[in-house]
Amino acid sequence: MARDPKYDILFEPIQLGPKTLKNRFYQVPHCIGAGSEKPGFQAYHRGVKAEGGWGALCTEYCSIHPESDDTMRVSARIWDDDDVRNLAVMCDRLHSFDALAGIELWYGGPHAPCMESRHVPRGPSQIPSDFEVNTHPRYMDADDIKLVQQMYVDAAIRAREAGFDIVYVYGAHSYLPLQFLSPFYNKRTDEYGGSFENRARFWKECLEQVREAVGDDCAIASRFAVDTLYGPSSIEIGEDGVRFVEYVDDLVDLWDLTVGDIAEWGQNAGPSRFFEENHEKPFTGQIKAGDHTNKPVVGVGRITNPDTMVAIINSGQFDIIGAARPSISDPFLPKKIEEGRPDDIRECIGCNQCISRWEIGGPPMICTQNATAGEEYRRGWHPEKFHTAANADRGVLVVGAGPAGMECAMVLGKREMSAVHLVDADKEIGGCVNWISQLGHSDGKENLARGTARGLGEWKRIVNYRQIQLDKLKNVDVHLNSRLSKQDILEYGAEIVIIATGSHFATDGLNPATHDTIEGADTSLDWQLTPDEVVKGTKEIGNRVLVLENEGYYMGVSIAQKLAGEGKDVTLVTQMGDVANYMEYTLEAPMLHRDLHRLGVHIHTYTMLDKIEPGVCHAYNVWKPAHREQFEVDTVVLCTQRVSNDELYHELRSDKELLTSEGIEAVYMIGDAAAPRMIPDSIFDGHRLAREIDSENPAMPLPFIRERRLWGDVTNNDYDGVLVNTPDIAPMVVK
Amino acid sequence: MKIVVPVKQVAVLDEEFDVLEDRPGVDPDALDWELNEWDEFSLETALQLAEAEGGSEVVVITVGAEEAEDGLRSCLAKGADRAQRIWDDSLEDVDPLAVARVLAAAVERESADLVLCGVQSSDGVHSATGIALAAHLDLPRVAVVKGLEYSGGAATVERELEGGLVENLRVQLPALFTIQTGINEPRYANLRAIKQAKEKQLDVVSLGDLGLDAQAVDSAASSRVRSMAPPDTGGGAEMLDGSAEAVAGRIAEIVKERMG
Repeated sequence: MARDPKYDILFEPIQLGPKTLKNRFYQVPHCIGAGSEKPGFQAYHRGVKAEGGWGALCTEYCSIHPESDDTMRVSARIWDDDDVRNLAVMCDRLHSFDALAGIELWYGGPHAPCMESRHVPRGPSQIPSDFEVNTHPRYMDADDIKLVQQMYVDAAIRAREAGFDIVYVYGAHSYLPLQFLSPFYNKRTDEYGGSFENRARFWKECLEQVREAVGDDCAIASRFAVDTLYGPSSIEIGEDGVRFVEYVDDLVDLWDLTVGDIAEWGQNAGPSRFFEENHEKPFTGQIKAGDHTNKPVVGVGRITNPDTMVAIINSGQFDIIGAARPSISDPFLPKKIEEGRPDDIRECIGCNQCISRWEIGGPPMICTQNATAGEEYRRGWHPEKFHTAANADRGVLVVGAGPAGMECAMVLGKREMSAVHLVDADKEIGGCVNWISQLGHSDGKENLARGTARGLGEWKRIVNYRQIQLDKLKNVDVHLNSRLSKQDILEYGAEIVIIATGSHFATDGLNPATHDTIEGADTSLDWQLTPDEVVKGTKEIGNRVLVLENEGYYMGVSIAQKLAGEGKDVTLVTQMGDVANYMEYTLEAPMLHRDLHRLGVHIHTYTMLDKIEPGVCHAYNVWKPAHREQFEVDTVVLCTQRVSNDELYHELRSDKELLTSEGIEAVYMIGDAAAPRMIPDSIFDGHRLAREIDSENPAMPLPFIRERRLWGDVTNNDYDGVLVNTPDIAPMVVK
Repeated sequence: MKIVVPVKQVAVLDEEFDVLEDRPGVDPDALDWELNEWDEFSLETALQLAEAEGGSEVVVITVGAEEAEDGLRSCLAKGADRAQRIWDDSLEDVDPLAVARVLAAAVERESADLVLCGVQSSDGVHSATGIALAAHLDLPRVAVVKGLEYSGGAATVERELEGGLVENLRVQLPALFTIQTGINEPRYANLRAIKQAKEKQLDVVSLGDLGLDAQAVDSAASSRVRSMAPPDTGGGAEMLDGSAEAVAGRIAEIVKERMG
């Protein structure tokens, strides 16, 4: 089908200095955990998006020198010619798809702990990082300033050699150039501090020197936070925000605009539970609207809807649609618009699981919606291409249509299995997502700094995308309202049976802190609840509620938020040092804490329950168990841990002869049924099994390519020769 | 008890489709085929009755070209005992009354105790075939049945009326009912049943086998599709330009004009 003419504007080319961007789709710099040391991961991940129609794709932040070293987090690096060699692989791959390659030159100042290089970072003033532990920069004198500026120039020249088309001088997220500009970091009294012109001098000179060095060959871009959201102590849109853009506008070919800083960069990479699509418009949208620039502007805001994109361009908000997360969730988003099938777009749900893995420092990026993200090179997975399974003549029964089951059935359908039946006891597909996506609201009346407690409604996109795909697959039948017994499965007539029956919350207080149940915990009582019972409204909830949260992610706090928003007096108890630790990594924590405090939730950390009685919970401090507390409450919600629904699997596997006599060749278990984990892990598990359903032993994942250094004489073939036989992803053409 | 269930393989339109130029109809490339939704419920009603009464037989019959066999196979997979597909090229695009005439000849040969049709088909939406079939067979009939119980040679049925009213009737068999969606929860066939259905009896019957010819069918028809065209769109719209104030003023004028 042809694309709808209303989207034509998105496919118009636009000039960036000496380079032409072929359309308006632009993957802004974002981390993936590849850097320069996993060139295959880097090139294939960005390359799949280039194949999917993105006009330009950038590296993550790319360190210009060992004294800007962000270890434990993974950045790209362009310190020497060997880095050039590795990054060139990405450039070549992007150019083969007619896309531009961008590099985000980065110097972190105090925000670079230099744990690997052990260098000393330099900064405009000796102000320690506001989020690293004990990281003080060295004060930059006039010579240091020239030295660091030369680092930018040297890195830019190396970037051009690698084949990059767009070279950034990166300041946004409060890195060195913005540290000079912001009085929050810059306390200098020399010609680089004080007045606006003095504070802007370092960045301006960097732009001039980089432009002088490579500007004839490369587009010069700058990423700038038009408001760091600290009020008058830093950059404000109406002050230095517009002033800086106007001041250096003639030195850039492209503005890449953001809001916020790195200490709370969830204001930029806004999670859906607090920020809606295009949420940065009130800030970044002012630059073009106010006529402060003559240069093209790219901006972001988890923009997934093609109609929003058109409105953004037509209204003069941006010239180019920037995307990090939407491009991870759907590398083929532009192509799907171009081919007139926008309903196939796999929309980002704004869970920020991608960010979480980078924040942890080390693991590759993952994506809830797109299980192939990060697997393009090491597993040879393509997000849109699926080769026919060698055993496609087999019939498959998938029991359970939650995240793992939906994904598995969908991928098996795309691999052209002769018949796939996805069967669920519920009246709709989606499993746990159907109630989890109702979490996260509070009363919604009062703003939290910039966002609102919108809830996890966008997580329902997990189901919506798969529902649409399953409907289109003629070889997949979905049967609902059908709870299958062992006997039903034995008689089903499927050669392959996949158990995806999910998990349930412990009803007896079983928990990861004590590896035991809790005396008196029993959710069969009408005043004790599991989290799903709270959402489903099956029990009456008293005014005083204690929520026990032992999981460390969103469940306990979301229940507390919901009940407090409904006016309950909520006490939140956890054995850990903070509630919802993992939400630090997803960048949801700062906004969540604001909401919990606003709602008056009483938080007790390092606290655990050892007895629950009607009207009272008995607690102790985990470091000093003799220190005891009692909480007088009416209702208790137990978010302690989940337990797999694996009975069916074990019953079936107990009699292998019976399986054989019924024609069942294999029984597999995926998702929470195997082990309760986070939703992206369950989806991955279902995807993985379907991708490898015709391997020698599908129950065991195939090995993946590891980009570690191999000792001795090696060739690329020693790493990735296996990819030549991978049918879905185009192999690398190495020069 | 022998129950005959006439079913229809209906066309499902793609979002975008073209109307044929040489004859009335839709470009077949834009069509998908599936069993009519209402027939899932009439079949389920038949299967439940047959299961309750030992020694029963459920026969599904359709008038349709080869693509209709998928629908018949799905009925066989769910538990129908045998199937019959009636076809002749002259039956292309005939109206519901003609279809009813053809079905009547086939059902007559089965000496059915009960004939269960769907209320309507999702593509034609005439709600005519079932009732016309009852007329041809001279059977008592009840349309839009949303509840059915059988005992002692008679059925007690709930007939859905407008405004939420329900009429309760007791009807001596043989009879014909048209079954409404929601009367039950249709079963699905597991993979084994789908495989086994391939071995069940599916007869392809010609008009001649039924003692009919094209002329007999034609004389039963009440209508023929003469032409088919998408409705005109965009007419009658007046685009208003100008400032918000001017546009609002013009809208107010139009509303006043139209309201007299």
